[in-house]
Amino acid sequence: MDPRFTALLRPFLKHSGPEEAALTPDTDLRRLGVDSMQAIELLFAIEDTFGISLPDEELNDTTFATAGSLWRVIVDQLADEVPA
Amino acid sequence: MSRALALTDRLAEVAEVTERYAADTDRAAAFPVDALAALRRTGLLGLLVPAEYGGLGGSVRDLVTAAQTLGRSDMSVGMIFAMHCQQSAALVGHGGDRLRKELLPRVAAGELYLASVTTEAGKGGHLLTARAQLADEDGMLTLDRFAPIVTGGAHADGFLITMRSPGEDATAGEVSLVYAHRDQVEITASGDWQPMGMRASHSIALKLTGQIPGHQLVGEQGGFHRIAAEVFGPLAHVGWSAVWLGTAAGALSRVLRLLRSPAGRERFDLSSELLLTRLSRARQRLDTVHALLQQTLRTLEAGQDLSVPARQLQLNALKITAADECHAAVDDLVTALGLRHGYLQDSPTRLERALRDLRSAALNYSNDRLHLADGRLALRDQGVSFA
Repeated sequence: MDPRFTALLRPFLKHSGPEEAALTPDTDLRRLGVDSMQAIELLFAIEDTFGISLPDEELNDTTFATAGSLWRVIVDQLADEVPA
Repeated sequence: MSRALALTDRLAEVAEVTERYAADTDRAAAFPVDALAALRRTGLLGLLVPAEYGGLGGSVRDLVTAAQTLGRSDMSVGMIFAMHCQQSAALVGHGGDRLRKELLPRVAAGELYLASVTTEAGKGGHLLTARAQLADEDGMLTLDRFAPIVTGGAHADGFLITMRSPGEDATAGEVSLVYAHRDQVEITASGDWQPMGMRASHSIALKLTGQIPGHQLVGEQGGFHRIAAEVFGPLAHVGWSAVWLGTAAGALSRVLRLLRSPAGRERFDLSSELLLTRLSRARQRLDTVHALLQQTLRTLEAGQDLSVPARQLQLNALKITAADECHAAVDDLVTALGLRHGYLQDSPTRLERALRDLRSAALNYSNDRLHLADGRLALRDQGVSFA
């Protein structure tokens, strides 16, 4: 996962303690405080940071479940943005 | 006898008992013990319990039918029933094998009326957070939980309780659901119940302390959010909306019967354009709720991921719309009929009670909170797709 991604993610993990210093693809976002209310602010942060727009159909609970599942959707979008 | 007919008969028996005592339980703010006895006797407490456990094996559609029917007689009884069904569905869908075998036959037999313990002081109505924490002691789960509002808490045989998961590092977002039988916990009721409406729902403050075996965890540790998304949320919105629609439809029906009676035709001018327009508005509101309820049922029956914004928005829109429109419809009728039949307790229209009861609908899982969630969900669906 990109350091820009982990840096933007961290402020959203309000329940994260010191033992969760390292974010991994398995990091459970819901457990650490990303609820459906936070998801939209997180989405804006991602779109601003990477200059992408995540497709509506990916904005479900599965995508926001873990750092890895969210990163995967970002990567797919970044790949689409690369000029052919 | 077909199952549908059987359901109609069972409901008719409960509705008859409910009608008989509703004025008394409302006046006394007392739990409808006679209606609960009828729900037990008719097997309706087991409506959503599969037939293999002795239940009626009913569907969400059956729940809607039943909730609407009972809501016509009394909104408190309808809500008590709908909430019990929501709890039993959580056990069916997420209880472990052993727990299901222990509890479901008893629910089906009418021995277990289930209450929901999800409210907690200081968490601002957030369903998906919990402060009081479970302690895991050699496979036994210890709980010590205060809840400011537990509908039917003094009469329930068992409770489904949200708790923070055990463990030092468990966060407020890690919520687990556990079952506790009445005799497994020490129960202290407190406070006086004197609400504006929904008086027979007897929703009191409870403190529950005790120990339960580990298999009484429903779903996984920290897994309540799944149960909330798949069972509690959808069945609450659909079940409550059906009750509210029933209450408003019952009120409209009684108004129409009064207006069409010889005495009513003498008292009211049925060619009055104002009266006709008000009746039309009330009816239109109920048709709107009915249509949205039916469409939401189809969405649930399709069994797709409900976390998709369009589906979540539809489900929330049902709750918000039903709460607002059912109350507004009865309010229209009060205006249409005036003081004697709109405002006095002894009118056969029972508009006064229906209006008080329905005033709670927008507050029961607050419409304001749902609008905030919906605003965010709307931003996640730029294309504006519909479920």
